[in-house]
Amino acid sequence: MNNSYQIAADHDGKSIWKFLVSEFKPKGKFLTPFNIISIPIMILGLALIVIRFWKGIGSITNLTQDIPWGLWIGFDVVTGVAFAGGAYVLTFMVYILNMRKYHSIVRVTVLNGFLAYVFYAGALLLDLGRPWNVINPIIGNSFGTSSVLFLVAWHFLLYMIAQLIEFSPAIAEWLGARRARKILSAMTIAAVIFGITLSTLHQSGLGALYLMARDKIHPLWYSEFIPIMFFVSSIFAGLSMVIFEGSISHKVFFNQISEKNHQAQHGIIRGLSKICAGAMFAYFFLQMLVFIHGQNWIWINTPMGYWWLLEMVGFVFLPMLLFFVSYRKNNINMIKVAAILTMLGVILNRLNVTVIGFRWDMAIRYIPSWMELVVTLAVIFTEIWIFRWVINRMPVLRDSPSWVSEK
Amino acid sequence: MDGFSYHDIFATKGLEYLVIIAFLALLVPFWIVLNKQVKITREIQKALGILSANILRIPQGLFYSRNHTWMYMEKSGAAKVGLDDLLLHITGEVKFNQLRNTGEIISKGDLLTEIDHDGKLLRIYSPVSGEIVDRNSLLEKKPGMLNEDPYGKGWIYKIKPTNWITDAKSCYFAEEATSWSEKELVRFKDFLANTMKNHSPDASMVILQDGGELCDHSLSTLPDEIWKDFQKEFLTLYRLPSPAA
Repeated sequence: MNNSYQIAADHDGKSIWKFLVSEFKPKGKFLTPFNIISIPIMILGLALIVIRFWKGIGSITNLTQDIPWGLWIGFDVVTGVAFAGGAYVLTFMVYILNMRKYHSIVRVTVLNGFLAYVFYAGALLLDLGRPWNVINPIIGNSFGTSSVLFLVAWHFLLYMIAQLIEFSPAIAEWLGARRARKILSAMTIAAVIFGITLSTLHQSGLGALYLMARDKIHPLWYSEFIPIMFFVSSIFAGLSMVIFEGSISHKVFFNQISEKNHQAQHGIIRGLSKICAGAMFAYFFLQMLVFIHGQNWIWINTPMGYWWLLEMVGFVFLPMLLFFVSYRKNNINMIKVAAILTMLGVILNRLNVTVIGFRWDMAIRYIPSWMELVVTLAVIFTEIWIFRWVINRMPVLRDSPSWVSEK
Repeated sequence: MDGFSYHDIFATKGLEYLVIIAFLALLVPFWIVLNKQVKITREIQKALGILSANILRIPQGLFYSRNHTWMYMEKSGAAKVGLDDLLLHITGEVKFNQLRNTGEIISKGDLLTEIDHDGKLLRIYSPVSGEIVDRNSLLEKKPGMLNEDPYGKGWIYKIKPTNWITDAKSCYFAEEATSWSEKELVRFKDFLANTMKNHSPDASMVILQDGGELCDHSLSTLPDEIWKDFQKEFLTLYRLPSPAA
């Protein structure tokens, strides 16, 4: 990447506008393998989004009246938000439980969470027929308080604001705004508490959206406890994402990370693996309880039953065991494998609820079109582009400018 | 909504209770094994022979003197005196020579004993003034106790102190002792790097500049001159002027 950073505090003697304009220019090598792959997909995705708003959602998706929610909701929104759960878990650990060890990764996790909400929850707009109506539950043009979507809409909005406040000291440090930083960092703890409250509610709220589809979801995945399952699984989904994203960031942005934080990384990943192991242990038993409570054993000896067993054994129990063993053996690579397996398991679980197990008995199943996939990939790549842009400019991975600690 | 079905909520309760009991029963070993790790790392480091702050035993209720001795006041009014874990990790297995007999009066800073590793000697000075009331006869039979249990069965002398409060004041206690030991370990690293430089003409022998790990029993294989330097740097105890003077 790049080696020279703006000295934000004095903007290199330039005015703030010149500084901002210069910051918008790309830094470093342009034709990296990542760019070569992502740029065509993003352009194609943009074209498809234009077509979608021009000709309607049916023009590029395989959605029907029977299956109105597909990949864009099931993967982008529901799975993306689960992966963003790392932000509330980590801020809880660092600011409420005062586990200082994890402090160095809070900013990058919050940034990741914030962008995930903006982009993946933002993907909701692609799915809405008249996207400008998204503002209705906020401005009160019929609040729709009896719908779970009312809760989800407000929570997403408020949580994005809370995360922006949590992250804002980094923006202030980038701009060299000392007074603003002081005020904003004083607001952090309030935003954290607010954000945790919101997160616990809307992680489960996303599950609650599917409560009314009882007859449409396969009984192995439907239960009245979906909200609880979604909440508990968001803990290890988010932390696995932190482990995964952290190991990539550490390679890609290695020159930004101080020696001290480099050395701390090992202990951080190990600590997270312990939490994942514990959370997955509880989650596995919760799933067993739901299984028994619903008398679901009648479904086990069917293809969907085997699929369910694969999810539970291969993508919950196995990674749990891997986290457990690798924590004890202090094996970082095995922890990374476990994190990837867990993430696959969470994707599988969310898709099973929202796509694969949804109208599972239909003669014609919904399979997302290639265009839906491209749009989804374009959304993910755009998020990574913005993420990279921010990391390369603001003090997220690297230490704050010296004036912060001087005070 | 059509198609309401009524679950018999008691139909599966028995099984659910069994699952919950199984969960709790498994959670206990799960948690114990998961948290055992800290000790295991310690064992690994011990087996690998790496000397780091987290393998040091530093009981929080003892007074640690600057010259790596400890003392502990018993109910009887006599204080046990011994060698601290850091010193024994640095020297490795040592024999010790009983130099004092019961009834002798010594003052703080007087020679208390000598420890000996293959003829290389370190002199240990008393951290406390008083009368020697007992010596540990177990150490004559089992000198290994000194390294094995330095704060328990490996004590050296019991001394009835005459100036306990002042002597104890100059010692490290509790958390202060822990952080002091950590600092001493760092100081020892620097010491090794420097002293190796002084005693070997070959520049490639200079070690540890990158802050690498220390070997356990680092001194045991090093020559006598370095032991003498170590004596000077770490085990000298200056007599503090008494407050009355």
